Amino acid sequence: MLDTLRESYFKKTTQFIVINREMIVVASDNCLFHMSTGMDITDFHPFFFSLSELFESEEGEAKQKFYCIQFDILGKTYYIDIETHKQNPTELVIVLNNLTDHYKSVHQIKQVRNESIIGFNITQELNKELEVQRGFKNKFLANVSHEIRTPLNSILGFVSVLENTDISKEQLDILSIIKTSSKNLVTILDDLMDISKIEAGKLEIKNRRFNFLEFIETLGKTYKIRAEDKRLELLIEINEKLPRFLVGDHLRINQIVVNLLENAIKYTHQGSISFKVYTNSVNARRIPVTFEVTDTGVGMPKDKLESIFDSFTQLEKKGLFGGSGLGLSIVKQLTHLLDSDLEVNSEEGVGTTFKFTIHMGVSHNQKKEPSKNVVIRHKTKGKGKKPRILLGEDIEVNQMLMMKLFTDHGGYSLDVAKDGERVLKFLDNYHYDLVIMDITMPRMDGLDTTVHIRNHPNKKIAKLPVIALTARSSEEHQQEAKEVGVNAYLTKPIDTDLLFSTVDKYLNRYKRKPKDNEDEEALS
Amino acid sequence: MSVSKKIVLLGHFGVGKSSLLRRFVENTFSENYVVTIGVHIMKKEVIVSNQKVTLIIWDVEGTDDFTKYRPSYLMGASSFIYVFDASRTVTYNDLKYNLSHLKEKYPLVPVHIIGNKVDLVDKNEVLENLKQQDIQHSYLSSAKTGENVEQLFENVAAQLLENA
Repeated sequence: MLDTLRESYFKKTTQFIVINREMIVVASDNCLFHMSTGMDITDFHPFFFSLSELFESEEGEAKQKFYCIQFDILGKTYYIDIETHKQNPTELVIVLNNLTDHYKSVHQIKQVRNESIIGFNITQELNKELEVQRGFKNKFLANVSHEIRTPLNSILGFVSVLENTDISKEQLDILSIIKTSSKNLVTILDDLMDISKIEAGKLEIKNRRFNFLEFIETLGKTYKIRAEDKRLELLIEINEKLPRFLVGDHLRINQIVVNLLENAIKYTHQGSISFKVYTNSVNARRIPVTFEVTDTGVGMPKDKLESIFDSFTQLEKKGLFGGSGLGLSIVKQLTHLLDSDLEVNSEEGVGTTFKFTIHMGVSHNQKKEPSKNVVIRHKTKGKGKKPRILLGEDIEVNQMLMMKLFTDHGGYSLDVAKDGERVLKFLDNYHYDLVIMDITMPRMDGLDTTVHIRNHPNKKIAKLPVIALTARSSEEHQQEAKEVGVNAYLTKPIDTDLLFSTVDKYLNRYKRKPKDNEDEEALS
Repeated sequence: MSVSKKIVLLGHFGVGKSSLLRRFVENTFSENYVVTIGVHIMKKEVIVSNQKVTLIIWDVEGTDDFTKYRPSYLMGASSFIYVFDASRTVTYNDLKYNLSHLKEKYPLVPVHIIGNKVDLVDKNEVLENLKQQDIQHSYLSSAKTGENVEQLFENVAAQLLENA
């Protein structure tokens, strides 16, 4: 019984063939495939061509095993393991072992595995390509931003200078328009840089303790005035449960809320805007804080609500969501970065509500800190020696602007060097109290120049405060500057008040002969 | 008089070895990826310099580790065709390593390097990548469009006759 079963099974899976040196079939049991005696076995399947050389080989090499040879016979696929035994120099025994069922299951597994790996590889390649494209885009944006900021710096700077001259009310109004338009352009540039940073995953959320109630109150005051200018009412509602000090990214929350309030004021022509901030939670270490801005503006059609968050998307209807089309995209992406989601409800002709909730930590310390020492203004006007400042700046119009600003402000002496090499020469030959330096300069840029200053053998020069004043606004550039020893990083267009307060701050510190660690903290 | 020569197609899985073979032998192409397991063998006669050559082409299951190839598959080969996928750098990043293994084990067998699927990529970009990695390729081909497929096998056959 067992022998019969074995024989029947064996017959279904195994075939024995004998061939001669001419590759002619001498004998075959034909259990799997029919091979008539006298036929050329290479006519049956091209695999058998390779066996001819086994006749030429030594005795010991005559036994070979070939795994998983695919035979396509009469439209059917077989997977065969083949073994050869050299009987004598003129005859070869071939054993075909049909393992089709086994190999088919292996095939299925490998099909799934390989497809998944190939899919992963393709995704990786696409990501790599996207990264390259993103890199190009970001670099392009950074360069464009720099190129636009440089002339904007002159425009805004000279507008400020002009404002302080004897001009008529009408001229002052015109200057105000130029100033507002230029500032709008700066906002667009900042937005572009932010979008690019978010897309590159380089925008980090920095959670710090801050006076939340004061922040909301200041925002409210600012936008109340802005709304009144348009004869709109701004209703502010702040929930009493809200703690004064919270831990969160003050800068990014401000950016979101400012964008929403600006939007509301811009597209509301009559009625009111309501700004609500509230929490439903008390006595918790982290609380959800909801911000809600509702306007009675033009509203939006429902089918357009999703697309308003795409970069550069504006609704077709004139005067609806115009501008650069970046604001809401940034808001959406920033709320996402803050682990929140921006909700929007709108009805055309009725108004719009934007709402988001972020979770913020509640500071253990809810006491107001005593106000920090205000930087003492550097008072040298009229008496004593004026602090001597060296400016490294290659662009003539910027040199003129700075000279004008320092002359008008008074109390300082300003020398100008047009590149980094000249900055170093001036420092070697004259005494200075502070250096203000552009980063992009010919011959030697501001960063290299700062490295030379910090490594200067004269300790007094090596410790001079260096303020970068540049159109390069990215965090990477700021970080780079910090690493080479720049004390403060100011971006163009120049904020005159910030410029002089920073100059005074470092002049006072330098006078006190600062310790090294004080300098590092200055860039924060 | 006809001579028969064994050629082995090698390379990572999914690079299009089977597609190149089908395009050459049957002039067909399918977008569907079907894994080859073990080895699939086809033959085709070509005429080179008035001489008939029967190419016995072994399409061996793809792998990224050439040390895993069964010696019985490569035994008796007159030529190797190393195929990579021009649209997936991972299939040629280790090419030099795999080549050195082949050269060590089969020093007398010539290797032809083929970048397949060029219809999917920017050729200049691929050429730049290959140049950077100092890879001397024979052809950039496409089993889909048929670009350089015929030329590839005919060139291999011609070289085999030259070396015979």
